[in-house]
Amino acid sequence: MKPAPFAYHAPFSLDEALDLLHEHGYDAKALAGGQSLIPAMNFRLATPAVLVDLNRVDSLRSVSRDTTTLQLGAMTRHRTLEQSQDVAQMAPLVSAAMPFVAHEAIRTRGTIGGSLAHADPAAELPAVMLALDASFTLASRSGSRVVPASAFFLGLFTTAMEPGELLVNITIPARADRSAAAFDEVSRRHGDFALAGAAAYVVNGADGKCEVARVGLLSLADRPVLAAEVARLLEGTRPSKESIREAAEASAQVDIDPTSDIHASSRYRRQLAAVLIRRVLERAFLSLEHA
Amino acid sequence: MPAEHRYLSARVTRNEDARLLTGRARFVDDVQVPGMLHAAFVRSDYAHARIVSIDTSAARARAGVVAVYAAADLGEYLTPAPLLVPPPPIPDVVFHARTHLPLARDKVRYVGEPLAIVIAESRYIAEDAVRDVLVDLDPLDPVVDLEAAMADGAPRVHEDLESNAAAKVVQTKGNYEAARQQADLIVRRRFLYDRGASAAIENRAIVAQWDTGAEELTIWDTTQAPIPIRNGMAARLGLLESQVRVVAPFVGGGFGPKIMMFYPEELVIPWVAIRLGRAVKWTEDRRENFYATTQERGQVHEAEMALTREGRILGVRDHFLFDTGAYDPYGLTIPINTQCTLLGPYDIANYDSRFTAVFTNKPIVTPVRGAGRQHGVFVSERLLDLAAKELGIDRVEIRRRNLLGPDRFPHNHGIMFQDSAPLVYDSGNYLPTLERAVEMIGYEQLRGEQARMRAEGRHVGVGVVCYVEGTGIGPYEGARVTVEPSGVVRVATGVGTQGQGHYTVFAQIVAEVLGVDVTNVKVVTGDTREFQWGTGTFASRGAAVAGSACHAAALSVRGKILKLASQLLSVPEDGLELKDARVEVNGSPERGLTLAELAGRANPLRGAVRPGSEPGLESTAYFGPDRGSTASGVHAVMVEVDPETAMVDIKRYVVVHDCGTMINPLLVEGQIHGGVAHGIGNAFYEQLVYDDQGQLLNASLMDYLLPTATDVPPIETDHRETPSPFNPVGLKGVGEAGCIPSGAAFAQAVEDAIGNPAFEILQIPMSPDLLFDLMTEARRG
Amino acid sequence: MKLDGTFTFGGPQESVWALLQDPAVLARSLPGVEKLDASGPDQYRGVMKVSVGPVTAAKFDVAVALTDKVEPSHFVMQVDAKGAVGHTKGTAVIDLAPVESGTEMRYSSTVQVGGTIAAVGQRMLESVGRTMMKQALESLDRELKARLANGRSAT
Repeated sequence: MKPAPFAYHAPFSLDEALDLLHEHGYDAKALAGGQSLIPAMNFRLATPAVLVDLNRVDSLRSVSRDTTTLQLGAMTRHRTLEQSQDVAQMAPLVSAAMPFVAHEAIRTRGTIGGSLAHADPAAELPAVMLALDASFTLASRSGSRVVPASAFFLGLFTTAMEPGELLVNITIPARADRSAAAFDEVSRRHGDFALAGAAAYVVNGADGKCEVARVGLLSLADRPVLAAEVARLLEGTRPSKESIREAAEASAQVDIDPTSDIHASSRYRRQLAAVLIRRVLERAFLSLEHA
Repeated sequence: MPAEHRYLSARVTRNEDARLLTGRARFVDDVQVPGMLHAAFVRSDYAHARIVSIDTSAARARAGVVAVYAAADLGEYLTPAPLLVPPPPIPDVVFHARTHLPLARDKVRYVGEPLAIVIAESRYIAEDAVRDVLVDLDPLDPVVDLEAAMADGAPRVHEDLESNAAAKVVQTKGNYEAARQQADLIVRRRFLYDRGASAAIENRAIVAQWDTGAEELTIWDTTQAPIPIRNGMAARLGLLESQVRVVAPFVGGGFGPKIMMFYPEELVIPWVAIRLGRAVKWTEDRRENFYATTQERGQVHEAEMALTREGRILGVRDHFLFDTGAYDPYGLTIPINTQCTLLGPYDIANYDSRFTAVFTNKPIVTPVRGAGRQHGVFVSERLLDLAAKELGIDRVEIRRRNLLGPDRFPHNHGIMFQDSAPLVYDSGNYLPTLERAVEMIGYEQLRGEQARMRAEGRHVGVGVVCYVEGTGIGPYEGARVTVEPSGVVRVATGVGTQGQGHYTVFAQIVAEVLGVDVTNVKVVTGDTREFQWGTGTFASRGAAVAGSACHAAALSVRGKILKLASQLLSVPEDGLELKDARVEVNGSPERGLTLAELAGRANPLRGAVRPGSEPGLESTAYFGPDRGSTASGVHAVMVEVDPETAMVDIKRYVVVHDCGTMINPLLVEGQIHGGVAHGIGNAFYEQLVYDDQGQLLNASLMDYLLPTATDVPPIETDHRETPSPFNPVGLKGVGEAGCIPSGAAFAQAVEDAIGNPAFEILQIPMSPDLLFDLMTEARRG
Repeated sequence: MKLDGTFTFGGPQESVWALLQDPAVLARSLPGVEKLDASGPDQYRGVMKVSVGPVTAAKFDVAVALTDKVEPSHFVMQVDAKGAVGHTKGTAVIDLAPVESGTEMRYSSTVQVGGTIAAVGQRMLESVGRTMMKQALESLDRELKARLANGRSAT
């Protein structure tokens, strides 16, 4: 399991990295944490002729906040997010999801930008970003643009990123007052790829009715999906145990398109979806009640 | 002997751990030889195909490539690997030996079968060159499923045979048909146990070096059997045994597949090293390990048990298919283990057991920890559980009623065991073990609480299963014990060590006999230069057989010590004592000699050695038991099942084990813990998934799941000791016990947790997907 | 792996049939096909480059065979692909029938994979299969509509 030969560059600035990506086009791949790319290269599934290592571009590594948003540099390590007070206060759904991202050792290298750009349908962070209505800054030699998470994940390992673009920053709106978050997934062993997962972010209005019920789902389609049925059935209502269960079951029927593999059939995944959506909503609404 | 030196049954920490933990232990991949080249293999991508052509020209032309060989280049060296284990002399046994070639010729029979070897300056270049080799294969229909392989007209793995039956064996005792007529209940089911790997943390590796000046070949090999490898390779290469040295240094886990001998890589690498005059290294990567290293455990059983209405077993009939893979070098060891182990600790007078070993287009099958015993236990324990349900008898009670009593030993079952000797249980006392396990798991208490917990929505269940394990078989092992003039005691034995703690347990045995500190006993294993006679580490026999040889050699050295000391001190031998590395006079401890002094005196530079004596304080001894000894035990597990997700949480795991006299309880527990981890793997996670074209769909640790530290609960152990009469110390083996009954235990526990009589677990492993389907069906039915 | 489904083309059945039998169309519209030339009656050989996630431009030699033709409603397509990352063998049974909005195609296919993609890619196989099928069919539909817009019909 040795990779095919490749040329290696380790730029120190974002501009240099973008120049290299532009110069080499399809021959080049950006290296972030390497936790997905390097195994693919060692298996010789991926054989990029050029690697552009982003690990020395310090400007891409940051966690900062202002009054209304949390700003994360794309090269911020999972482990940093996991341990960050700013993240815990501004976007607790991220903190809740982090322990489920692979294993601690992997989290010391993996990055949020890598996870989002790779867009593995079983990844936790893309589903979390959907639930939090995050937006992503993409930079290229010709400038930069902002794409909301809802328009970013287009298909299996496919994002809105164009050739020559790098994901450089993630903006997450600060958690609202009267909001709660809950994350859960089922995997065969701790740290494995999820068989199914749900990331819930709920907000109650001043009148006590549910204002926002966003549930991001992972491992249940070729990309992360928002449980549209949940929002449709619960927003504007006072959710009860029964209405939560019904919303979860409805969503599991229509919002997802699970595949089968050797670990789980699509039927089993659909069952897990209904259970997990229900459990995260119950937990989130319950913690709102207690707050 | 003074209490502070009593090493037998002492919890001594391991001699070897400091080296292992500080990176000072040498493994085969650590071996560096100047000018060493690296090998990579071209392997078949198809499970069954004719080889049309292999074009190595482009590979040879690549910069950094030194040589490329395919079967056609091996000339006369291309002869089949040996049959390692001929079938035991069971009446009417049908057996077709078919073994592999060093590199495939004419036909490939499994994905991963080696077609060519590339030798280059680095493994990177070698892997690049592997892709340059143009292999033209004409695919044939493969056989993967056991029953499909035995169907009429199925494609034949070995075309010179009439079918894919590699062997047919029948073993019977008593008269099952008659017993069946008397039965009040017959329970009959089909059971599946699926294939798995051993997944040792260290993959295989070989370094071969031919020293042209000395005309000596050194092979570093992660083998469990260095001596047979040395002997076999010497013969094949036309060398004297003394010209070949095989070294198995520290090895990171064996579990069986490293006792498979004369793998294609083992055959080819030394040949290449001699031909090129440069050392060659091959380190198997993890992906290769899934094809190139042997696997085990695929079996299909149609079994029934006949019982009285009181739950007494009248007899068992079991017909099964055993997947031997593409070749069968290891003979019938595994399925015979299955046949024998099914009888368990029970009094079963009538038995009809038949199996067909089946060739399939999958990697070769040789023993993996448990070696077929799991299957026997799964069948008998599941049938007992199902019978208990139908008869309305408690699951533990039905076992009590069938256990062999302590007055029934030695117990001859009348069928043949894998070592070609009749299956005889040497000693055992099963009921107290069962009661202890039942007590430790809190069986009665849980029965009382279960209904209340279910009302709270918690599905908790318990499983209690019994097993026996044949261990410590021959043929023999040997050991040499030497007291050096420094006072350090050196022990050399022919077996290899893969982490079991031989550097400690053999030292304990010898330290006990000689009255020295265990840390002053240096053990050498796995080097044919050090010790040349023996077989290897397998079948839970290291302690019982090699340990007994160490014991015998130490006793002999003790005799020499006493004889010499008696002469020098003018005191009769029975007036002397060995203590703290000295020989001293009973009652007058100030009169004595250190062992170091004695060793010096035993090898005089002046003065002849008298006839009938030998210089030094050294002895070599061998031990070969007539037959194996029978260990036994009970596992009890408690699980909680989430009925919505079908995920199983293991709450508690109890093992009560009897491996006879324990040399070191700490290491016994280590073996049990490791075995249980393997058992949890067997039960829930480990399954090699082949599609119907023989392609392995989970050839990585991402998808072939092994339990990790978070998946294995703390294991509670207790011990019983019924010493074996077959060796002086009373030892029985314990290496595999942890994984043998786990599948059966968890199946019983999960059924108990679900509590629906329509819910039955008849196959291993129990993935959550399978449990979900079974639960869904049971709810409907 | 089994891939079954239906797809509705926006055009008449005869046009769809003609499209599916035309190697030039297949070469143009199937994702990643670099060339596809006739190598015999109803047989084609060519080269495909597939990109999925970290796998970029994995090259495959492809051989396509069309059999069991019942014009214009039924045929079987066999695709064998071989590359460094593995090999695949797919057999698809295709049935066409007219519907109000055009032509409904029912496909029932089994795909066998071998090599590295089988060994370490099983988690993604069904997803990749569905994605590639969807891309291929949508691309063919676009080609169909372009042809019809240009006034060409069954040729």
